[in-house]
Amino acid sequence: MRQQITYLIVSLLVFFCSAGDILAQEKLSPDTLSQDSIMVKDDNVAKVMTTSVISYAQRLQNRFTKSPLLITILYIVILYSIVTLITLLIIILLNRGKMQREDKQKEYLLEKYQLLLMEYLFDEEKQDKAFRAIERIANNRMNRQVLIDQMIDLSVNLQGEIKERIQELYLRLGLKTDSLEKAYSRKWHNNVKGFRELAFMNVRDANDKIIESLNSNNEILRMEAQIAMVRLSEDNPYSFLDLLEKPLSLWEQVTLHELLIQHKLKVPAFKQWFHSENLSVLIYALEMVSWFKQRGVGKEIIALFDHENEKVRNSAYKVCGEIELKTSLPAMIKKYPLESDSNKLEILLAFAKVPNARYLHFLKSVLDTEDDVQLQIQATKAMENTDEPGISMLIKLMKSKSEYKNYQIIIRHVLDGRIY
Amino acid sequence: MEKAFEILKWFVLNAVFILTALIFTAYLVLTIFSAISLRKYLRKNSYVDYNSIVSSPLAPSLSVIAPAFNESETIIDNIRTLLSLYYNNYEVVVVNDGSKDDSLEKIIKAYELEKVNYYFDYRLPCKRIRGVYKSQNRSFKKLTVIDKSNGGKADSLNAGLNVCRNDLVVSIDADSIMEPDALLKMVKPFMEAKERKVIGAGGVIRIANSCEIKGGHIQKINLPKKFLPRAQVMEYTRAFLMGRMAWSELDGLLLISGALGMFDREIVIKAGGYHTNTVGEDMELVVRIRMYMVDNNLDYDVVYIPDPLCWTVVPSTLKVLARQRSRWTRGTLETLITHRKLFFNRKYKKLGMLGYPYWLIFEYLAPIIEFLGILWFIFLVITNSLNWPFFLLLFGFVYFFAVSLSIWAVLFEEITFHKYEKRRDVLRLMGTAFLEPIFYHPLVMLMSIKGNIDKLFNRNSWGKMERKGFGKN
Repeated sequence: MRQQITYLIVSLLVFFCSAGDILAQEKLSPDTLSQDSIMVKDDNVAKVMTTSVISYAQRLQNRFTKSPLLITILYIVILYSIVTLITLLIIILLNRGKMQREDKQKEYLLEKYQLLLMEYLFDEEKQDKAFRAIERIANNRMNRQVLIDQMIDLSVNLQGEIKERIQELYLRLGLKTDSLEKAYSRKWHNNVKGFRELAFMNVRDANDKIIESLNSNNEILRMEAQIAMVRLSEDNPYSFLDLLEKPLSLWEQVTLHELLIQHKLKVPAFKQWFHSENLSVLIYALEMVSWFKQRGVGKEIIALFDHENEKVRNSAYKVCGEIELKTSLPAMIKKYPLESDSNKLEILLAFAKVPNARYLHFLKSVLDTEDDVQLQIQATKAMENTDEPGISMLIKLMKSKSEYKNYQIIIRHVLDGRIY
Repeated sequence: MEKAFEILKWFVLNAVFILTALIFTAYLVLTIFSAISLRKYLRKNSYVDYNSIVSSPLAPSLSVIAPAFNESETIIDNIRTLLSLYYNNYEVVVVNDGSKDDSLEKIIKAYELEKVNYYFDYRLPCKRIRGVYKSQNRSFKKLTVIDKSNGGKADSLNAGLNVCRNDLVVSIDADSIMEPDALLKMVKPFMEAKERKVIGAGGVIRIANSCEIKGGHIQKINLPKKFLPRAQVMEYTRAFLMGRMAWSELDGLLLISGALGMFDREIVIKAGGYHTNTVGEDMELVVRIRMYMVDNNLDYDVVYIPDPLCWTVVPSTLKVLARQRSRWTRGTLETLITHRKLFFNRKYKKLGMLGYPYWLIFEYLAPIIEFLGILWFIFLVITNSLNWPFFLLLFGFVYFFAVSLSIWAVLFEEITFHKYEKRRDVLRLMGTAFLEPIFYHPLVMLMSIKGNIDKLFNRNSWGKMERKGFGKN
């Protein structure tokens, strides 16, 4: 909708102008459009000027009821537009004022809370006084919400006893009730807020609702429920993966992964989800095995080379490279000709990460037969990574004047250390 | 003869009245859909923590492709901005499209570049690539510079696609300023995709005229002082926050601005890359990749993000604006002609039944109808057959409706991103909404007509944009 917002409107305007005279001649009665001009021409201007509000309203009503439909519509649209305009202008200006007031109030509260929380947490003598002051300020919904947000922000960066003190203060102030109310609210965005608060404050009272939301159709709510489950579960933070029916998006995977790292949570043995019927959970488990370099899963991963899903196989090849699973190389060679280009690339990347001169003939055949640039480059890189045998083979190839493949360009690219 | 003239007038009245009703209804519907979509987006994203993907090794790899032609004055700062975006796994590919100034020399010097033995193939057609440069300074390891013969923006983007290796590509004008978190926001829909593949994402382009810019970053946001760029702010706000947002909700988005767009690289290549024979390569690509997905029975989404992601300087003189609008008109026409088989084609669902007809009737034909209307109006004035009271009534009808739509857009901006902090700026923007239909819109309409004439006479140049550099706004 580029600049056309008024394009047609103005064009139609002029068309209507032309049409106007038809209406004027055929349809308009003297008491409609020309009424104003008649009145202005009236000698008794003063009389018109003093017309009462009632008679004006009657005239307006007459105008609508006696006008042709088109004219009535035009009047209605004009009226609607003007009313909308004025209303919106007022809303914009009021909204601006309201936002500024709210911002100021929040700023004041944050400053006040920060000071009092510091006193409560770090100064034993002032603890009770600080508690009473916080309790007095947090006397309405908005002020309590600002306090909860502030406590969460604080607890993100704190660990151990201080974090526990914040949680204890949260309970003492009865803020749990607010969070539970939100967690059980009918509105999803309130649920999200409630789950988050409860998870941060380590309150398990709404776990039933959180578990129920793990398979919600609302992806934000689902993700927040997953995060809450991870935070609230001490022994097996990823147990919710068994309950998950919906696919786990890459965004969710990244968020969960970051959570695991940032909060130094107990890392489970991800091979337990290698048989998950939820393919996204299986792929995520493979990614995590690769990331945490979990070993002793060779057989299970090689078995996944035969999985019917291309993405699962892709992840399996990737893991083999990451965990340097030498035993997987012969199996990958067998699978190579049957795979898609992206999976072929992953196999070659694995070969580059697990260099082995024994498979140089395979890599050379890839270089010879493949037309795709990335496959050629990766095969060459894998050859280079085998050190002496691979590099001498590449140098020999560079010197050879093969007509059917320009080895020089490919090998120069790979050997050029300036290309990262 | 007189009767025939009367019949013609009667026909025009009725046909145009129906069309008006349709247009106004369409705008109201779009406003409602954009409001729904904006609300949904804001609610959803108020809980998002983008920090988790900033440095995640699991986040997809991106290539930012920035074509540059004679951008000597701004190129160094702009590359610096591109290299400092909040994202870990990305590279910046600057394509020097045969610049006649000293752009390449400046980049080589500033970023310590050397020509490397880069191996690539021409999967997409583009002019000869003369060389690929990489920096010897590890701080700039994300940067790749391609030097090629001049071939235009689309040609440069194809060259970038041939050289880059990452899963997702971001096309950007080298003279635009990206918000530091733009990549994070744009990559999110791709990462959230499940059954349906996300093939493209676009975002809001904001106007940087009169803003304070330092070191390639926006320091202070101001409303443009001059009327012409300010009217464009109004126009962009309406188009991005209302139009495109609504079309995204309706799954009928046909355009991702060339200033900033993210695409699935493999899909773009399979669909044939950017067309070099059009000046509207951005719209043409989106239409073609959508068609490619439908033709191959693949489920897909094209996503639009209402966050302000990118800043650009808009024309501040009539001459440059006329060139730009002529190009836009020609680009739209070329895309509509190339993909005419979409017109009410059920196979392409919303794309064929809704998106294409809308663009044809309400976007492309609108200025032409308007222009003909003006000629008709002049004829009636000359022949003294114009009913002036009725004219004024219609004028009020059209004018107030147009202004109220603009004010809706200002409201959307105010309650969503609230970028203009000064009260005075918002008041001026609202004032512009009242002036724009009278002082700006007719000019843009005439520029669009010029675009049609240019196309008719095969004047297909891109048009010089006369860059002043951000610091000199």
